Amino acid sequence: MASTAAPHTYRWSMPATWWTRNRHYFLYVVREFTAVPLAIWLLWFLVEIKRAGDGPAKYSPHGSTPFVIFSVVCLGFALYHSVTFLSLSGLIIRVKVLDKQVPARMITFAMFGIWALASLVIAAVLIGFAR
Amino acid sequence: MSTEVREHKPAVMHLFWWFMFSQGGVIAAQFLPVHILIQGILGPLNIVPVVDRHYDTWIRILGNPIVKLYLLVLIAVPFFHFAHRLRYLLVDFGVPAAKSTPAQVIFYGAAVVVTLVTIWVLLTTAPISFG
Repeated sequence: MASTAAPHTYRWSMPATWWTRNRHYFLYVVREFTAVPLAIWLLWFLVEIKRAGDGPAKYSPHGSTPFVIFSVVCLGFALYHSVTFLSLSGLIIRVKVLDKQVPARMITFAMFGIWALASLVIAAVLIGFAR
Repeated sequence: MSTEVREHKPAVMHLFWWFMFSQGGVIAAQFLPVHILIQGILGPLNIVPVVDRHYDTWIRILGNPIVKLYLLVLIAVPFFHFAHRLRYLLVDFGVPAAKSTPAQVIFYGAAVVVTLVTIWVLLTTAPISFG
């Protein structure tokens, strides 16, 4: 005789520490977490721009030791984001030249090249227009 | 017997958010590390002269419309990437509600708010100047 009881719903759950059990899981979470420090740094940058509107007498750029330490931490996360994100570009971007698929490795190499070139140009502007 | 023809509409909004996610990732990867290195570390430590360390050089470059457009893209677009990453990080940490429509409104709405604030800051901080 078949049971008439309502079926129980299976509730799938992961242990809270799943990401600490495997190096790859941990690095995945670190990659996703890069969003937090980078967002905070960009908000600071926006404040720095806004402060320029206060006039020459009130303007003083951020330069405290905690801020520099925070920037060093953010630079680590930013570089990790750049390397992991640009490394995937060969898998994501599909380019055909003369009906032939450009190799993924070449696209990844080009993206890292653009990163280096863009960094040089931005650095030249930030330093070149200073006094 | 009825023959039902299912209409396939292009998922325009889905396309839009994925586009913003990928572009935000690219912009953060390509441009952000050098800003953090120079404006967050080398400038405050006085290792190199940087444009934002003095009011006159900073306000002059902020008035350039191309710089304003660049800063808008640099600051605002990565927040759409961050919103997506943090939403799915919450899902991975056992918060399925982060997939819901209200969560999407909160996360992507925050990115839209950052975009609007950035536009406001860039338009009100330094008058547009080609000099």
